[in-house]
Amino acid sequence: MSDLKKTVLFDKHIALAGRSHIAAFAGWLMPLWYKSISIEHKAVRTSAGLFDCTHMGVLQIAGKNAQQFLNILATNDVSTLKTGRAQYSYILDLAGNIIDDIIIYCLGDDNYMVVVNAANEQKVKDWINEVGSANILNVNRLQVEVKDLKDETLPDAMVDIALQGPASIECLKDIFNIDIDNLKSFLFTRAKANGIDVIVSRTGYTGAKAGFEIFVHPDKAAILWDLILQKGSRLGIIACGLGARDSLRIEAGLPLYGHELAGPFNISPFQAGYGWAVKLQKENFIGKDAILEKSTNFRTEVARLKFDGGSGIRPVRQFDAVLDTNGVCIGYILSCANINNAQIALALIEKQHHIVGNPIGLYYVARNKNHIQQGRLEKVNIGDKLFADIAGKVIERFERF
Amino acid sequence: MPEGLYYTKDHEWVEIKGDIATVGITDYAQQSLGEITFVEVPAVNKNVNIHDTLAVVESSKAASDVYSPMPGKVVEVNNALSTNPELINQDCYGTGWICKIKLASSDTKHLMNASQYEEYLKSI
Repeated sequence: MSDLKKTVLFDKHIALAGRSHIAAFAGWLMPLWYKSISIEHKAVRTSAGLFDCTHMGVLQIAGKNAQQFLNILATNDVSTLKTGRAQYSYILDLAGNIIDDIIIYCLGDDNYMVVVNAANEQKVKDWINEVGSANILNVNRLQVEVKDLKDETLPDAMVDIALQGPASIECLKDIFNIDIDNLKSFLFTRAKANGIDVIVSRTGYTGAKAGFEIFVHPDKAAILWDLILQKGSRLGIIACGLGARDSLRIEAGLPLYGHELAGPFNISPFQAGYGWAVKLQKENFIGKDAILEKSTNFRTEVARLKFDGGSGIRPVRQFDAVLDTNGVCIGYILSCANINNAQIALALIEKQHHIVGNPIGLYYVARNKNHIQQGRLEKVNIGDKLFADIAGKVIERFERF
Repeated sequence: MPEGLYYTKDHEWVEIKGDIATVGITDYAQQSLGEITFVEVPAVNKNVNIHDTLAVVESSKAASDVYSPMPGKVVEVNNALSTNPELINQDCYGTGWICKIKLASSDTKHLMNASQYEEYLKSI
């Protein structure tokens, strides 16, 4: 446990959750839940939940060539971003594999903030350095400054706290007194309360129509955390851990790097349903030639499935087999969560089976030696003839809230 | 945690009455797992050695194997767990018991008592 990092909100988690629900995640000690995953999941759907996202990487890319640099580094078109707007994008390697999925925020002309997955922060930093030292696509003619914005010695340092759910609007209006109703999806604004400067962004990872990321100086994060929970308590706002974060994003259909993006099946943005974030009409970007090939030539894609769940039904897990009605394996589970007595899963399945309403089966792969001894397979492949343990169906790729 | 029970490093508890041992998982284990939604209980008459997998307790966080603390034969399982697996979260030392074993040996030297288990918990 000693080489795991603590976020600026660690003491809050210990106070609220106690040590037993704190686990290692991407090199950080993070709360899995405080009360329970289902209580916290429900809170986000009915009032709002507060999430510690301060472990995520926050980089600044600035300079008069920042826009061009980002347009080469990532797949979406940064030239469409004006100050106060954000966009979802991918950083690819030269073989077209996803290095990370990111959100780019335009802080001003020549000034961008890039939020990256905690698990990929070092990899992205190393990649940016490698791109520079190998001068890939001639980037060295573009002078840019790259800074780690989580560095608390910087006056404009930022860490990410997320407040997601319908009550977030009233809570943030109350605290920051801003016209938040007019802050549309993927727009952000600066605000201030109790002497704390923040950026409030209508972005998030729960699928909630009303949900925000609040960027604040790391030294003020704990104060802001307390302020939101205090002001939000009458609205039913509670702290939520990683368990709820995962069940919420699965319910929404949102991808997680390592599961629905890249990962053991090397899933591309196109397979994941995010081809729109890869602007092939851009003159050039790192990985463009390789991803061009991936943009049409794929047999499997990410689908959202629903199975029976709740007490007494074995949880569906990553790598379990998805079957057609003849028991033939058509794909693999990538992620699954128990939500309201159903299990909602994201799976990689053959395209021809990706039809909403299609009935499917699920085969649990062996979880331990006993299962293997009983004849259950540890690993399956598309095309294998198996038998279904439970039944389910294909549902809409994304939940409409 | 209850005084009269024995404990293992894998967080099982065992209560021994004559030649019957009742097995479950401890409060520490159920807290770490979170909401338990599924329990795979052993078949009655299954023979087990110490540390053979007896059962599987599953939550969204993990599928956790429950190992037999004692050698013997499974004679009874808690059928309530198939419809109410959350009994383990609610009452892990009582109604959340997992199974009973008819002991092949009553040797408990390899197990911890309550205060030893408590010390052990502080060390992990």
